[in-house]
Amino acid sequence: MAELAVDVGRLALKNPVLAASGTFGYGLEFRPFLDLARLGGFVTKGLSPAPRDGNPPPRIVETPAGMLNTIGLQNVGVDAFLEDKLPALAGCDTAVVANVFGETIAEYVHVCERLDQAPGLAAIELNVSCPNVECGGMIFGNDPRALGEVTRACRRATRLPLWVKLSPNVTDITETARAAEAEGADALSLVNTFLGMAIDAERRRPVLTRISGGLSGPAIRPLAVWMTYRVARTVRVPVIGIGGIVSGRDAVEFLLAGATAVQVGTANFLHPAAAIEVLDGLEQYLAQHGAKSVREIVGALEVEAPR
Amino acid sequence: MPRDVTTTVLRNLDLGGGNYLVEFADPEMAAEMQAGQFLMLGIPGSETLLRRPYSVCGLPGTFADAPRDALQLLYRVVGRGTALLAALRPGAELRVLGPLGRGFTPASADVRHVLVAGGIGIAPFPAWIAALAPEKPILLYGARCAAELTLLDWFRERTSELVLTTDDGSAGRGGFVTEPLDELLRATPKQRLRLSACGPEPMLRAVARLAARHEVECELALEAHMACGFGVCLGCVVPVRRGAGPPAYERVCVEGPVMRAERLAW
Repeated sequence: MAELAVDVGRLALKNPVLAASGTFGYGLEFRPFLDLARLGGFVTKGLSPAPRDGNPPPRIVETPAGMLNTIGLQNVGVDAFLEDKLPALAGCDTAVVANVFGETIAEYVHVCERLDQAPGLAAIELNVSCPNVECGGMIFGNDPRALGEVTRACRRATRLPLWVKLSPNVTDITETARAAEAEGADALSLVNTFLGMAIDAERRRPVLTRISGGLSGPAIRPLAVWMTYRVARTVRVPVIGIGGIVSGRDAVEFLLAGATAVQVGTANFLHPAAAIEVLDGLEQYLAQHGAKSVREIVGALEVEAPR
Repeated sequence: MPRDVTTTVLRNLDLGGGNYLVEFADPEMAAEMQAGQFLMLGIPGSETLLRRPYSVCGLPGTFADAPRDALQLLYRVVGRGTALLAALRPGAELRVLGPLGRGFTPASADVRHVLVAGGIGIAPFPAWIAALAPEKPILLYGARCAAELTLLDWFRERTSELVLTTDDGSAGRGGFVTEPLDELLRATPKQRLRLSACGPEPMLRAVARLAARHEVECELALEAHMACGFGVCLGCVVPVRRGAGPPAYERVCVEGPVMRAERLAW
């Protein structure tokens, strides 16, 4: 049996399979379906300073091999997370990563500071796909400078490992990747959802209330693998691959492309034990290929040089 | 506790008028499931990504000819997911997650239940009627046309009164099902009735308004698009009243699908 442990920077994970933010609630919801201790870790629903109600429905629609969502970052707020959710996760024996977002840098910093001393938290992941209220609603993650500023401020606000989750809705993802790395990110997770739109042709209206939504699911996997490959060749910090992973083979694609770990997202909706299925599939792949450790396949892509 | 199981189609009956009844068995799910609850149904290898939510139509004891531990779902073919389901033959695999959500709650003993169904909103009522036995509730059942009304013989035997309406007048009374409901509520002392309704949203809103006007307790079985069915995608929310402030959002899959009508901030 191959060794599965990986190090994402200074954070040691028992295996490279995590569950992605926004698809795994606060972890507790999955207890009826899987043993959390088998996961490398999971990332919580994005936490803001105060609870948020989210957007009016309809919020989701299925699309070919994927889905669009406009949930609007509905969450219980960082205080309720610390009081109600995190204590209930004590002893779950997996890495709990808190996803954090704000509409101003001060909000990001506030949430990071609240989480910094929380017992049992393994890392913080910044969701930067949020409009920057101070900067005319520009998305933090779309601008390398704004992304660098929020990363730097959060870096000062916590001693926990800091991951930055990159948006794919940019011209060149290696620029935002470099900005986050330069300001102290311990790891980069990518990608968040792609902006997309579905139209009800009969009614001549957008299907979702907010017109556009974030596209996720197997439809985005090749896009995400390509971005993972490019970023992993650009930065020195570890990369965590995300995008349409539903099987062990899908996870292997990201690892070969250079990701140290992966996050399973939309698949958690399809099968509540999907992350375990991905882990089992990864183990099978490693066994079939005689690998002693999963680390052997990280970045092990073989590319023929053009002649 | 919900479970995620792979099972097979026992029967998939074309009931006519676009209505179908699919049947499968799972002992634990059949033992735990309650009327008004739902499950997420996936077809392995199908082109659709997400599972689809279906309320349970038949529980053990609902249909006399059903095998042990069987559950039935009543559905209309309206889109890709239901078309794929309708094409399944006995023996085909199903992936089923359930039981999910909150079902109907029984009222106290001296209260009469009035069930109001619109179209495929009839789906949860066979299980609910069976759960209410030996009481025979009143059923007001509306559809667009005669062909869309289904399981009428079953309902005739198990209701004290069956009022049918169709939009086009091809069966029962012409017009909406809320008209006979309004008449019934006017004619009956309010403390004696409990409404359960399921159907298209405009119908549910109208039923909720009538229930409020006549001060009658009312539960609505809601429908929503959802990705997961167990509370994490937050895709299926409905607005509910929250004091004087703006509405809060609650999940149809966890806080529903059956909700008290007066809670909804429509």
